[in-house]
Amino acid sequence: MKAVILAAGEGKRLRPFTETMPKVMLPVANKPVLEYVFDSVKNCGIEEIIVVVGYKKEVIMEYFKDYKDIKISYVIQDKQLGTAHALQQAKNKINDTFIVLSGDNIIDQNSISNLINDKSEYSILIKEHSHQSKYGVVFIEKTILKEIVEKPKEELGKFISTGIYKLPYAVFNEIEELTSQGIYTLSSVIQSIIEKNKNINTIIADLWMDIVYPWDLISVNEIMINHFPSSTSGIIEKGVNIKGAVSIGKDTTIYSGCYIVGPVIIGSGCEIGPNACIFPSTTIGDNSVIRPFCEIRNSIIMNDCHISSNSHLSHSIVTKGNIIGNNFSSITGESTIDTEGEFKKLNNIGTMIGEDCTIGSNVIVEPGVIIGRRCKIDHLKRINKNIPSESKVM
Amino acid sequence: MKCVILAAGEGKRMHPLTFTRPKVMLQIAKRPIIEWNLLNAIDAGLKEFVFVVGYKSEMVRDFFGNGEQWNVSIDYVNQGKALGTAHAIGMVERFVDDFIVLCGDTIFGANDIKNIIKTDNSIGIFEVENAEEYGIVETKDGFLVKIYEKMKKPFSNIINAGMYHFNKEIFNYIKKTNKSPRGEYEITDSINQLSKEKKIKGIFLKEWRDVVYPWHLLDANEEILKKIDRKIEGILEENIIIKGNVTIGKDTIIRSGSYITGPVIIGKNCKIGPNCYIRPHTAIGNNCHIGNACEIKNSIVMDNTNVPHQNYVGDSVIGSNCNLGAGTKIANLRLDKKNINIILNGKKIDTKRRKFGAVIGDNVQTGINSTINVGTTIGNNCFIGQSSSVKGEINSYSKIL
Amino acid sequence: MCGIIGYNGFREAKNVLIDCLKRLDYRGYDSAGIGIIDDKLQVFKEVGEITHLEKEIPTIRGDIGIGHTRWATHGAVTKENAHPQISPNKKFAVIHNGIIENFKKIKEDLEKKGHTFTSQTDTEVIAHLIEDHYNGSLEEAVFETIKNIQGAYAIVVMCEDEPEKLIGARRESPLIVGVGDNENFIASDIPALLKYTNRVIYLDEGELCVVTKNSINIYDKNKKEIEKKKDIITWDYKDAEKSGFPHFMLKEIFDQPNTINQALRGRISEIDQTINFSEKIEKLLSNDIESINIVACGTSYYSGLVGKYVIEQTCRIPVIVELASEYRFFGTRNKSSLVIAITQSGETSDTLAALREANKSGCKTLAITNVIGSTATRITNGYILTQSGPEIGVAATKTFTSQIIVLLLAALKIASIKKTLSSNDIYYYILRLKELSRQIRLILDESNKIIKISEKIKDSNSIFFIGRGINFPLSLEGALKLKEISYIHAEGFAAGELKHGPFALLTKKTPVVAIVTKDSTYNKLLANIGEIKARGPQVIAIADENDSEIEKHADYVVRYPSNSTLLSCIPITVILQLLAYHVADLRNCPIDKPRNLAKSVTVE
Repeated sequence: MKAVILAAGEGKRLRPFTETMPKVMLPVANKPVLEYVFDSVKNCGIEEIIVVVGYKKEVIMEYFKDYKDIKISYVIQDKQLGTAHALQQAKNKINDTFIVLSGDNIIDQNSISNLINDKSEYSILIKEHSHQSKYGVVFIEKTILKEIVEKPKEELGKFISTGIYKLPYAVFNEIEELTSQGIYTLSSVIQSIIEKNKNINTIIADLWMDIVYPWDLISVNEIMINHFPSSTSGIIEKGVNIKGAVSIGKDTTIYSGCYIVGPVIIGSGCEIGPNACIFPSTTIGDNSVIRPFCEIRNSIIMNDCHISSNSHLSHSIVTKGNIIGNNFSSITGESTIDTEGEFKKLNNIGTMIGEDCTIGSNVIVEPGVIIGRRCKIDHLKRINKNIPSESKVM
Repeated sequence: MKCVILAAGEGKRMHPLTFTRPKVMLQIAKRPIIEWNLLNAIDAGLKEFVFVVGYKSEMVRDFFGNGEQWNVSIDYVNQGKALGTAHAIGMVERFVDDFIVLCGDTIFGANDIKNIIKTDNSIGIFEVENAEEYGIVETKDGFLVKIYEKMKKPFSNIINAGMYHFNKEIFNYIKKTNKSPRGEYEITDSINQLSKEKKIKGIFLKEWRDVVYPWHLLDANEEILKKIDRKIEGILEENIIIKGNVTIGKDTIIRSGSYITGPVIIGKNCKIGPNCYIRPHTAIGNNCHIGNACEIKNSIVMDNTNVPHQNYVGDSVIGSNCNLGAGTKIANLRLDKKNINIILNGKKIDTKRRKFGAVIGDNVQTGINSTINVGTTIGNNCFIGQSSSVKGEINSYSKIL
Repeated sequence: MCGIIGYNGFREAKNVLIDCLKRLDYRGYDSAGIGIIDDKLQVFKEVGEITHLEKEIPTIRGDIGIGHTRWATHGAVTKENAHPQISPNKKFAVIHNGIIENFKKIKEDLEKKGHTFTSQTDTEVIAHLIEDHYNGSLEEAVFETIKNIQGAYAIVVMCEDEPEKLIGARRESPLIVGVGDNENFIASDIPALLKYTNRVIYLDEGELCVVTKNSINIYDKNKKEIEKKKDIITWDYKDAEKSGFPHFMLKEIFDQPNTINQALRGRISEIDQTINFSEKIEKLLSNDIESINIVACGTSYYSGLVGKYVIEQTCRIPVIVELASEYRFFGTRNKSSLVIAITQSGETSDTLAALREANKSGCKTLAITNVIGSTATRITNGYILTQSGPEIGVAATKTFTSQIIVLLLAALKIASIKKTLSSNDIYYYILRLKELSRQIRLILDESNKIIKISEKIKDSNSIFFIGRGINFPLSLEGALKLKEISYIHAEGFAAGELKHGPFALLTKKTPVVAIVTKDSTYNKLLANIGEIKARGPQVIAIADENDSEIEKHADYVVRYPSNSTLLSCIPITVILQLLAYHVADLRNCPIDKPRNLAKSVTVE
């Protein structure tokens, strides 16, 4: 059986992080989300993964060029019109029943297995409603899917769609029909199939997480990092205290006096410390430098970052190439963030910083602030609203 | 009748020991696993061997040469890319007619090999306790029906032992075998095809020992050491005690005060003692130095390694060319006496043992008074500084200062 | 250059040869051929890609054969000129990498004796000579033949009457023997064989090998049999994929933020404020070095020139940079001098010859190269790898910037030993080095600006590049890249030299790219730009982001992020690479395989 993974989308809601990479390549516990999807699918007896790419496809193709153990082929969706349209691009590579899933959701191997082994012609993975989903809310009767409602106005129904389906080859006819009418989403195709009285069986997924907004990365990171036990490489000086599951990459040096409490992942080629404190659920990428007396907690620091001394980062995301001056404080707390006209209330959120910014010393950032790409922030500034990409704060 | 031994595998689950040697060259009671098979096959009357090599093939070739040391002839075929057991066996088509295949990393007994030789078109099978790790075999009236993949709830405890008697027909089936879901060409698929047209007899084996993880080496070591004789070459000083079956190699010197309780095997050219205590089921390689005030128990120490001053090594496997600094100790028992876990290739695994020390690769140096916790794995070329405390998985080329 | 493979074993030769030839693909690419003995000797040759050849070969058994990919040196690209070349009686087949310098005379002599030739190659002459000398022993015949030929060669020969052996011989062009089990290989380089065996024997000058399925015998030039060491190759040669980029060269340009970090990996410590190399290299760099000679060819020569500025500024010792092809005959050899050879492949013939000369004169030698296990790493006192991964595009991009990074690190190390730089200075440079990756990313993101400029200059007759100081070699490199792949004539000049001649070439149709850095040369460069504009050409300035004056002087400005003068060369180089790439792209040139050029020049 083959698997189609949709990875063409940009992920506009994840800006500024997606300005240089497609959303499926955002890293969680130092691996792109898409890699988790590949890993889960690979071991279920899938013979080929067909990846639908589009936005910034080179990033995906370059990263996975050495990926072993399963055949990977790419099809290109030139214009991102919708999920059904994306799936349509893969039509020529399929000739039988297949599964389709999105590259930006974490899904566990068992659930995929269950989906594959389900006997029904059409199947879908669903999840309890305590999660949010961009695929809509579902109504079921016994285990048969009755209706999918995208973007419901109120909190209806008990379950949500994961957007992961097992479909017969015949579904492409349905897709043709709808896309020719300008309807491009898979949920609409499924709804149309339901209306034609076909039975779609629902299976409850075990571990499933959607990444819609930048702060979702932090919570997903927190969960996925638990799957990584200790593994030490590099140079660990004397007087370093390492507790719990801490993974340290090659050529990284942890200088004396550092206090690291796992689960923590530190990439390769880094220099940490001396006397830096790294607390649980923190991921640090490759080639980053964390200077003395920094405290980093529950955060994602990506590659090539430089965080100068006495900085404090908690529940924050610092993307690639950031140079942050000393005494940086990301204040963590409550925040109400305006997204697409809706207000989302977050309880514990720090700062989210786009790529390649230069931030001076003694800068303070209020909770929930999103700083764009390539911003320059002068010393002694207090930031209490979002900063768009390429701006300067003097 | 030629004997083909498959020796191409890396043995990823034996990391870090297999970073520098193929799995078949891991030592048990001082002989590489594959040598035990060679010796047993020779006992069963076989004289012509073909080794299918691949990963780190030079280690196998350098050790065995053309086989004259054992009075047999050994030929080699390089598998190149590891594409599965059917691919490996397919390599030898030009070199064999009627032949036996042994999986090089499983230890078989001589009598069982004799039985397989007697029966054309046969496959060795064995009954185990934990069949979920292996491919299950279904037989009817003594003949093979099908070999199944590993399954979570196996319907039988009889597994494919990894020993076969084939003739040239198998190669046609190998050529027609497709890649399995895990991307390899499996001989079990070829055999399943063959069994549809020819009857394949299932022969029960009496002896069978598989090694998957490093602690299995200790189990196998223990079992084989039980059968060794007392044979002492080498120089013995005064005032040493040797109890039980102990084999000591040529040019090894045992100094005064050494206390060795067998079964223990010590290689050639070693310096043992003075005043050291070597306890049962320990295998020490060649050119090793076990010095003053050292205690080693139930461990495997490979060639050219020094445990030279005031060390404790228990239930551990130590690679070659290592040097433990004075006072380095390896813990092998948890204070709460629970099972010991090990982290291998980034995954946590329960060894199901209450006593287990460390797995240490090659070229590791430890400074004085360093301590190694239970279940630690240390990769090759690591440097553990003085007074350090080490735990978990330490990858190759690391320094813990 | 040409790729060579010979196989003698138990597998079907056709499959093995085609497989190995595909791995040699990067070496030469106008035609390919294989010869197999299966009862009779059969030869198949085609112009074009190896996949083309593959289709033309019928199923043929036969477990001994030779294969070749050709990069033309003598004679046009035709099927007849492809290798293997065969002798008149069609029993001997030869494949060859190299140039026979006296082949014309030999051909004339043979023609006088009645020989007729079917190709224009020098190789065919070898086949004729072997048949002439043949008297029952193939190796004897080859021995006699190589006595008569002058020049560089690596040849593999087989004979229908002795189908159990292959003969290999070399002078200057590389040749290695791959040792297998029940099979053996002869090849021009390691990647060809790595899938089948990791044991190799390097043939040395003048040696000849006789290779059967089970034995390898090697003879020195006096026909004496010798024992040679088998080396075990521990590295893995992975094929690169283009991964969604339209050309390898673009992918490799975009790889630079990564490759720069790779070149720095493990060698700098910000917290310790030190530059670290292996013990062997540190020792080599600590010897009381009074001067440095850098030898290299092509783009590596330009990185050497950049290195000169870097080393002289930081270490205050004189540096002489010489073309390897000149050094080997005329270079100054000073025992207290460290000779640094820069060669991406580690196999560049002229550079290796220069190294051998340096060794002979008692100098200490250091190689900067990208290929582990290459000849350069074996004949020097030490080597530093640039660690950039395989570079497939013929025009060097990421390896150039990585070479400069390595030179920078070596310079900083020597400076810290000689104390010409304080530890504060070293720390400053370390921080600047760490910023490079980010700065390159910035430039790559703004490629559009460069594309706009490329559009303006793509139809020029000539384009000139000027710079001063460290930017002078960059102007040479910028010109080289542009002409290599876009086929527009381009030249680099030291800005101060324009008025001494080249001014005469300036017209409205010859745009000038001026590299302008904010240092002591700034005002002079502005003056140069003024002089140029007065004569017609448009001026494109590559300037610092903080330069507010430049707009008044140049027609177009491309900016690079500020960095120390010594390190700005890296972002400036990336701009020059993008400029060359986009001009070539707009002109629809075959960027990854420019006409008449090969990746590693192993001939002279």
